[in-house]
Amino acid sequence: MTAPAAVLDSPLRELSYAEAIRDALAIALAEDERVVLMGEDIGVYGGAFQVSGDLVHRFGEERVIDTPISELGGAGMAVGAALTGLRPIYEFQFSDFATLAMEQIVNQAAKLRFMLGGAVSVPLVMRFPAGSGTGAAAQHSQSLEAWFGHVPGLKVVQAATPYDAKGLLLAALDDPDPVMLFEHKLLYKTKGPVPEGRYTVPIGKAEVCRTGSNVTIVATAIMVHRALEAAEVLAQEGIDAEVIDLRTVRPMDRETVVASVAKTSRLVVAYEGVRTLGIGAEVSASIVESEAFDYLDAPIVRLGGAEAPIPYNPELEKAAVPQVADILSAVRGVVRGTR
Amino acid sequence: MPVEVIMPKVDMDMTSGTIAVWHVAEGAEVQSGEPLFDIETDKAAMEVESPASGRLHHVLAEAGSEVAIGKAIAWIYAPGEEVGAPPEGSAQGPAPETPGKAAAGETTAPRPITPAPPAVPDHPAKPRATPAARHLARENALDLAAIAGSGPAGRIARGDVERALRESGEQLPSAASGWQPEGGPLVVHRAGGSTGAPLVMIHGFAADSAGWQKLEACLPTERPVVKIDLPGHGRSPRRPVDSFRSLARMVVEAFDAEGLDGAHLVGHSLGAALALALADVRPRRVASLTMLAPAGLGPEMNGALLSGLARAGRKESLAPWLKQLTAEPQIVTESFVMAAMQARKDPALRAYQQDLAETLFPDSVQSFDLTPALDRLAIPAQVVWGRKDRVFPWKQALQAPGRVALHLLHDTGHMPHLEAPEEVAAVIASRLQAAAGQPVVTPAG
Amino acid sequence: MSISSETERCGAQAPAPGRKGSGGSARPASRRAGKTSAGNEPFAVRHYSPEVLREALRKMLLIRRFEEGAEDSYMRGLIHGTMHLSIGQEASAVGACLELTDQDKITSTHRGHGHCIAKGADVGRMFAEFFGKESGYCRGRGGSMHIADVDKGNLGANGIVGGGIPIAVGAALSAKRLKTGTVVTSFFGDGAVNEGSFHESLNMAAIWKLPVIFICENNHYGMSTSVERSTAVRQVSDRAAAYSMPGVTVDGNDLSAVAEACHGAIERARAGEGPSLIESVTYRWRGHSKSDRNRYRSKDEIDAWIARDPIRRFAGLLSEHGILSEEGFARMETEVAEQIAAAIAFAKESPDPDTAALTRDVYTTQTESVG
Repeated sequence: MTAPAAVLDSPLRELSYAEAIRDALAIALAEDERVVLMGEDIGVYGGAFQVSGDLVHRFGEERVIDTPISELGGAGMAVGAALTGLRPIYEFQFSDFATLAMEQIVNQAAKLRFMLGGAVSVPLVMRFPAGSGTGAAAQHSQSLEAWFGHVPGLKVVQAATPYDAKGLLLAALDDPDPVMLFEHKLLYKTKGPVPEGRYTVPIGKAEVCRTGSNVTIVATAIMVHRALEAAEVLAQEGIDAEVIDLRTVRPMDRETVVASVAKTSRLVVAYEGVRTLGIGAEVSASIVESEAFDYLDAPIVRLGGAEAPIPYNPELEKAAVPQVADILSAVRGVVRGTR
Repeated sequence: MPVEVIMPKVDMDMTSGTIAVWHVAEGAEVQSGEPLFDIETDKAAMEVESPASGRLHHVLAEAGSEVAIGKAIAWIYAPGEEVGAPPEGSAQGPAPETPGKAAAGETTAPRPITPAPPAVPDHPAKPRATPAARHLARENALDLAAIAGSGPAGRIARGDVERALRESGEQLPSAASGWQPEGGPLVVHRAGGSTGAPLVMIHGFAADSAGWQKLEACLPTERPVVKIDLPGHGRSPRRPVDSFRSLARMVVEAFDAEGLDGAHLVGHSLGAALALALADVRPRRVASLTMLAPAGLGPEMNGALLSGLARAGRKESLAPWLKQLTAEPQIVTESFVMAAMQARKDPALRAYQQDLAETLFPDSVQSFDLTPALDRLAIPAQVVWGRKDRVFPWKQALQAPGRVALHLLHDTGHMPHLEAPEEVAAVIASRLQAAAGQPVVTPAG
Repeated sequence: MSISSETERCGAQAPAPGRKGSGGSARPASRRAGKTSAGNEPFAVRHYSPEVLREALRKMLLIRRFEEGAEDSYMRGLIHGTMHLSIGQEASAVGACLELTDQDKITSTHRGHGHCIAKGADVGRMFAEFFGKESGYCRGRGGSMHIADVDKGNLGANGIVGGGIPIAVGAALSAKRLKTGTVVTSFFGDGAVNEGSFHESLNMAAIWKLPVIFICENNHYGMSTSVERSTAVRQVSDRAAAYSMPGVTVDGNDLSAVAEACHGAIERARAGEGPSLIESVTYRWRGHSKSDRNRYRSKDEIDAWIARDPIRRFAGLLSEHGILSEEGFARMETEVAEQIAAAIAFAKESPDPDTAALTRDVYTTQTESVG
């Protein structure tokens, strides 16, 4: 075991997001023989983002399985293994490569239980490094979580903190159905408190990370951090923002969002996926279809990704997804009534 | 650099606007957020607020003239800033975060993130209004068409309906006859860590628990912090209060409900008096008492200031009173005033507080005397007072018996926890350290 | 008789008119499956008891009558949607499943009724599923294309060409890791061998030596497109070489040939030596689905294959070896007909699903009906 000395045996230890996931994977491998990790270069290489790290040395090649570059076959194999008694955790090297495995994810994993009238379950966990900000351009930077949120039978999760990354992964492993975890690549090195040992964070529950009274900002993944940063600036201006980390895209915790907007009367949704037909639309619809509608006192603003592939140039790349300044300007607009 | 004033785009399909009237004369002083000029478009008239504080110069567009959107029409110079030739108009690349320019900035350089929503044609018979405004109007049988909207394209927001209700003499549902009595326990905010004896904080009149923020930032973070909102303040219910004694009972009730032991009390002004009353009846569960500018140590007070604060319904009327609370008026910034007004925007809350002021401080006199309680006090106690307090004279501190420590702060007014948070924190911390050496009774479970 | 098919398929029998280059017998036989048969007795007769052989014939007959009954029900408007009939391919399904236990798994195809029955399913629950009833194998949620019987090891038919192949590999990984000693047989058609999932799956099964038997039921057409027009290799089993596993081509209408090839592959899989690829050459008598107008093949070609009816052939073999008499066969026919009639009656009488329970099995623990 080669964990850094600072993280050993301290209940208040800080781990990076990647280390927190590895911690969860190690717990899962240690406590359940049925758990296997599969993916490209997750063995001695340690995973493209060093998430699996040294696990192959701790648990062996039989359980930390390097697959060929075969996303479709690999995903299908994970489905078959999950159907027949293993608890596979499948790592896609980039979430963009889910496009190669759409058939198995969407037609098989999501639907098998239903098509077979409940005769089977597919307890499959899939991990997807996602999002922009690394200069990897259009085919390695997408945020496709909303695509999969459209598929009944799948659960789609986005952790924003190391604590949630570990707790949601262990919850996904306990879940009898396929769970897709989208991990924003810029979060892998962010640090936060992560308790030792097993704990879970419930799938399908949003978290109010900051309470406020003037406006609700619903955010996912890295946008949670940008929203919290914006909220601090706004507080100086007398705008009291409530920030909700959605945490799960499907099933969506509409209750928390509706209760918040009924209180604040204003809503801004910040997410990295393409703005149109995405998470923002779904969150907005939850409001206008609910009793919170009557409390709405400003138009809802969706801050999503640009209607363009993620570009390479760093300035273009930043402009393609919401930044703190965009959240500030949107919130000021809805609170001051200029929107 | 003077701040540029531009013709803002205030309507979806607007390309130019006509200046109806300037509210500020050239060379006159203007505060940020005050009305600067009115514009007329073919659909609506709009008031435009000043983007900065200072003096208005180089007014390029007289009333009645039509100006293309985004074009500079005047500049505002900061106090002391030299007024030269009119700067070159720079409306092509306005700073995106400057209020008042945001609208123009967004239209001259469309943001990919938030493209303009599709235009909706106007229906004269169907006023633009938010769902909340419609809901309130419906509940009060009010015709939206008769209400002037303050939002873009004349959109009516909830606030506009509330204003119309006030003007028409109607009562707001939440503020019939000023305020409706409510029940329930006081709201208690818990913060901090879980190590050590708790700090219990009680705010002053017309404030709330958010006012402790600056002081909290200077205090050790590991201890639990329990902040009580007084009735009709912050988020607490508007429970009827007929005397200081009944108010103190509510605070004791809230303290008891928390099940605390060995608590270190910190109170400010009215809250300090309440903390003292609490220590008086719960001596065995209180470890120390710190009173900041306490009420209840003498009859004299600034009644005008207190009722002015309670009454103020707009930030313009609130700001002058707030500035009297501190020794240095610049501590009370624009955003401080905005935040304070935000917390007081509910007219029912203001009505309740006016009534409370009348009950506790009738005819500008402190009706309750806590000096006997101070004399009885057996726990470590200290008083912190600013020598420039304009609400209660600091010399009332001299009523305290010899064993109560006295800390008088220079260049500090009625708000030591805001004006000198580090010094106040140090005074509290020394008491915590002293207490740490003594055995503290903690709950068994 | 050679199990390695080439001579059998291309020489002795009438060549398929639509198949270019398959008229001669000059092509050498590819790798042979398992042990080569010695002597003149067919493998099945040498290897299995008369009871097993009679039961194999009964299952083939049951598949035939089941599909005919399904077709009839479809024409009477009792069945919704469409279906893909495997009439003419019964030897392939039954031969491949002959040695599988209920613990061994299969993955099947959209043309999967035969596999399901061969693996031991109850035809009453199958009809009920086709009729969309709550008593069906999938409680009316799957229909013909998703028919499954998990208790008997059938992980399901699949609506996606090639969809079941990687799933079979995953099931084999489970078998290996959990040391169950079971094997997985993956059925797919000639169309699936040009899907990426086929290649990815064979490669992974080979590198990890997983206990899978890949069975390509080559019925000559992927919908309307013939193997010659769609596939570069001369026979599908040639592709085994690319994944370093044994590959054989057998006459899929000869139950004994299919069973012999599978016997070797199953033994190899159980011994931990890895996967095999078996190409079972056969023919569907009916169209691709109920909407097929047969524009891509000739009546002569269809008739030539009907003349090679696998049931008649196998019944003849049993009769030749004194395993089944004329009377015995007639009795079997009657029993199967009664079984089918009872199954259809059961299905007709079964209750329809409750529409309020529409979202019941989307998730294992139902938290809410919408995302």
